[in-house]
Amino acid sequence: MYFSDLGTIALILAAGFALYTIFAAAWGAQRNMPLLVKSALRSTLAVTFFLLLASAALVVSFLIHDFGVRYVAEQSSLSMLWYYTAAAFYGGQEGSLLYWSLMLSVFAAIFVFTSRRAPAVMVPYSVATLMGIELFFLFMLTTVSSPFTRVPIAPLDGNGLNPLLLDPGMLVHPPMLLMGYMSFSLPFAFAIAALITGHLNNDWLRAIRRWTLASWTIQTTGLILGAWWAYHVLGWGGYWSWDPVENAALLPWLTATAFLHSTMVQERRGMLKVWNLVLVIASFALSIFGTFEVRSGVISSVHSFAYSDIGGYFLAFLVIVIVFSSGLFLFRLPKLRPEQEFDSVVSREGVFLLNNLLLVGIAFATLWGTIFPLISAAFRGQAVTVGPPFYNQVISPLLAVLILAMGIGPLLAWRRTSTRALWKNLCVPAIGAALCALILPLVGVTDVLANIGFAICAFTAGAILYELWRGVRVRHKHGENYLFALYMLFARYRQRYGGYLVHLGMVALVVGIIGSHFFQQQQDSVLKSGQEMSIAGYRFVYFGNIDMNQSDSETVISQVQIWHDGQLLRYIYPGRTMYHNFGNQPASLISITTSGLTDLYVYLDDWSGNTQATIRVFVNPLVPLVWYGGALMLLGGVICWWPQRRRVVSTATRPSPGAAEPPRPASIEDKEAIV
Amino acid sequence: MKQRGALFLLLTLVVLVAALWSFLSLNAATHKTLDQRVQEVGAQLKCPVCQGESVADSPSLLAQQMRGSIRAQLQAGKSEQEVVQYFVNSYGPNIVWTPQWQGFTLLAWLVPIVLLLGGVGLLFLTLREWCASAPGSTNDDRQASSDDAELEPYRAQLEQELADEDVLFRHLGTEGR
Repeated sequence: MYFSDLGTIALILAAGFALYTIFAAAWGAQRNMPLLVKSALRSTLAVTFFLLLASAALVVSFLIHDFGVRYVAEQSSLSMLWYYTAAAFYGGQEGSLLYWSLMLSVFAAIFVFTSRRAPAVMVPYSVATLMGIELFFLFMLTTVSSPFTRVPIAPLDGNGLNPLLLDPGMLVHPPMLLMGYMSFSLPFAFAIAALITGHLNNDWLRAIRRWTLASWTIQTTGLILGAWWAYHVLGWGGYWSWDPVENAALLPWLTATAFLHSTMVQERRGMLKVWNLVLVIASFALSIFGTFEVRSGVISSVHSFAYSDIGGYFLAFLVIVIVFSSGLFLFRLPKLRPEQEFDSVVSREGVFLLNNLLLVGIAFATLWGTIFPLISAAFRGQAVTVGPPFYNQVISPLLAVLILAMGIGPLLAWRRTSTRALWKNLCVPAIGAALCALILPLVGVTDVLANIGFAICAFTAGAILYELWRGVRVRHKHGENYLFALYMLFARYRQRYGGYLVHLGMVALVVGIIGSHFFQQQQDSVLKSGQEMSIAGYRFVYFGNIDMNQSDSETVISQVQIWHDGQLLRYIYPGRTMYHNFGNQPASLISITTSGLTDLYVYLDDWSGNTQATIRVFVNPLVPLVWYGGALMLLGGVICWWPQRRRVVSTATRPSPGAAEPPRPASIEDKEAIV
Repeated sequence: MKQRGALFLLLTLVVLVAALWSFLSLNAATHKTLDQRVQEVGAQLKCPVCQGESVADSPSLLAQQMRGSIRAQLQAGKSEQEVVQYFVNSYGPNIVWTPQWQGFTLLAWLVPIVLLLGGVGLLFLTLREWCASAPGSTNDDRQASSDDAELEPYRAQLEQELADEDVLFRHLGTEGR
């Protein structure tokens, strides 16, 4: 018996338990049989256990190089380092499906363990939905796409992983992104449970918000890591190319972001229930669409590692998801009435609606651009290309308005804001931004679009920082020192200030994008030993090539010096590695030197002998801000998500003297916003 | 008074910025170098032998030759549009990196724009409806102040209780009413 047999058995058992969970949970909830529901929850844990077992079996098969397993032979080879061998687990389609379902079951287990906090009526339906999704993946894994299929005669050595995947990024980016896709199942399960039971109260909202926040943070990490990996590996000097697969990962992120904002309206004001459910369901459907798109290869993409014939199944699953949730939705629509009415457009609700329109607009434009080649091929029989300029032109104006709204929105109060209070909050950042727009051309930013972009970013960053400063100052006046005051702000109003951090991170990221889009410089030179090239004040002196042979590959690196202002900055070694199994696809070793906020990105394009090389240099201003901004967004997401100690609401617990329970005046929220 | 001063300052700055931006854009349009024009045309064309790179960015030999051809044609006095059309004629419509503003591919541009405008319209109508149905939204100031008078005792109590919890509310309770 091989480990792979163990894996197959574990998968079948997991599928059985998943099926049992669905029926036991649904039946138990319908007939009000708590013991049956409890058994369903336990059987969810059994699914998790068997998936852990199956994954362990696959990892062990990789580590002991059991090439009798077809998937192991396709994805790994004897010469690979052990951690890449283990990571090859999710390097191909079968393994990534297994990883997806493993993570789903782990999250389901976490949900079961924390289910006491969720509204009790919904738990069984949420679990049933999660296991329904799980069952689809287990069906795929046990029938059409099993990672444990054996071949009659085991090859002596495996094929090895695609060279582009042999990078530290491989260890973090795919698991994060797949986990991000997967994690949208949880809010979806909550939404389905709410639609079945008809309960959409504030407890439900809090639970779904936290899970969505977790998904959002994971997906943000996945996207940033993906951009970082592309930047470090692909060699075209950029980090985002509007490739269909990248778009697919961005789409659920956009709708989840919209959801996180519009739930605040629901939480405070009881409005937008229908819309929020639509957003949750759309996020999940888009993440399945993304998986379908990556797997099916219907849209050509640079991510061509994972094509296969299982796209049809995903399409069918997508259709089932959409039909099922829209059916439930129409059935429940009469119950989803808003509780409160709107007061004034210049209030935070209004900006949230605008935010939603923009985010959904960006998501739609991205989706439309991604599938337009398919539409064109279907109706006209003619392929068209929808490249980055399309997305840049359609999306950047929307993004600009979004960033602007990000600066104004948090300063507006709920319900209604007096123009005077608003002006008081906005005049400082607005004047700052205008000054910034005037000064920038003097320091060389003569491009109008870039100037507008920077001015908007300056405005929003100014508005957020000014707001932070005023909060800190108020606390400081009451005897806290500045640092402690800042800490207290974050500790007290975690959601709010975590959100500000995310916004600041987003502004930094956009500044980075503007910088690298408008001010990237690029130069290709063919150099012989001792020759040099210069670009943007940097000199690159080329010495020669070094050729190194390893057992499975050959590496060529060039030695280059970087000089700036007459000083030697450092030696760099851009190069190429050719893997014998993937001869026509040399992986590049890109040298990136960060000096201040500018990246010097050096790529060995071609070489001949030991004394000649074609060196490609990109000077990428402000790109480091993309990573800093991304990190800040993550930090903000985690702060928002971090469990809050339950604050005892004093008004509710203390016996109020005189009157009965005082109605909570809405203006206290206005005041919080003015702080 | 201080507020009005700031408003005038901002207005002056906005006028200055607007003047600057229009000056810069007019200046940029007339002072395009040949290199920039080649870059712009190249950015509209997809490199036929690469994965996901434009003619302007690609290091491949073919892209270099195409850049040379663009340069020659621009020098010969052709417009950007004519040069793009030349490449469409010789390589087929797939060479263009973005959908063109004509024929069927116009849909690629129009659908998102139309839907977005529709969304703006819908948003406007929804907001108007909500505002209209919100009670007392027309004479809101007086309404709000009478509400205020009614709620004042409750508010004072709530603020006091919140102030026990957090220093910020202590401040708020004393200011701004």
